[in-house]
Amino acid sequence: MTAQYDGIGGSGLQFFGKVSASISHELKNVLAIINENAGLLEDLTFAARRGAPIDPDKLDRTVQNFAKQIHRADEILKNMNRFAHSVDQFECRVDLHDLVVLVANLAARKAAMGRILIETKTPAQPIQFIGNPFLLENLVWLCLELAIAATGSGRTLTLIPEKTATGILLHISGIDGLGEPLPVHDAAGLEAVRAALGAGMATDPAGNTLTLRLG
Amino acid sequence: MRILLVDDETEFVATLAERLSFRNMEVDYATKAAEAIELAARKTYDLAVLDMKMPGISGIELKEMLKKQCPGMKYIFLTGHGSEEDYRAGSSEASGYLVKPINIDILVTRIKKALEAK
Repeated sequence: MTAQYDGIGGSGLQFFGKVSASISHELKNVLAIINENAGLLEDLTFAARRGAPIDPDKLDRTVQNFAKQIHRADEILKNMNRFAHSVDQFECRVDLHDLVVLVANLAARKAAMGRILIETKTPAQPIQFIGNPFLLENLVWLCLELAIAATGSGRTLTLIPEKTATGILLHISGIDGLGEPLPVHDAAGLEAVRAALGAGMATDPAGNTLTLRLG
Repeated sequence: MRILLVDDETEFVATLAERLSFRNMEVDYATKAAEAIELAARKTYDLAVLDMKMPGISGIELKEMLKKQCPGMKYIFLTGHGSEEDYRAGSSEASGYLVKPINIDILVTRIKKALEAK
């Protein structure tokens, strides 16, 4: 089974690295906000000791900032934990929507840097995918990278899982236009991950939707 | 001294602005590049503190835009990680870069030092 990972080579490692870097950057921002708010309390205490009145609204705002950032960090770490555990099993049953939401969350910062939003659509019925969750996350991530690169700022990319009579599909819609050849940074990596999963990949004639066929 | 802070994290930039104002600095802040450019068109700032990575624009790109409006302004960059690109930004014509979370005393020292050299 590890042959699946041997096949994707450095691409999988790069994916892991990119996600880790993005998470660490996000957490640095959270810490920076907590640090400034702790510092503000220190400044207010210093001023109060010298007789300055304390503004309760300011204290309330600071406490709210702490609570908000703790919640944000908790969400980031939950995603990180789920992502880290996705390498635990080479093959398992995965809820496609849950996996897509996870990858969308992990890619949200990358998209935001290009002023792009990522949305996910919940299917009417749960869609189960049986396979390697890490490889599927890698493939969705690579396709999102491709979609982000081909989409202008202010746009929204939508991830739509779909089950048809012939198989499981994942559409990424809202792309400005994918030309031929596809603007892929790591074409060999994308091909290796796609092949390891046995997935198909196609775009609509206008290049606005990228569709993965997952079996 | 007049300082312009630019970072897309509102809670960070607003709180840092408040803390710098406690330290006798006149501070305005922006969370978007367009807001920063608008502020710089209305007021003269001695120094700008810019986040390296913001949606749609880098701190370096914003510095280049602000330089046209405020030729004498000094710059300090803030970064979430000390990458090689960040290091280059800090070692060129800017007055250095600081890694988040920042130490306010170090930031104040850097600001004063940069403005003394003006």
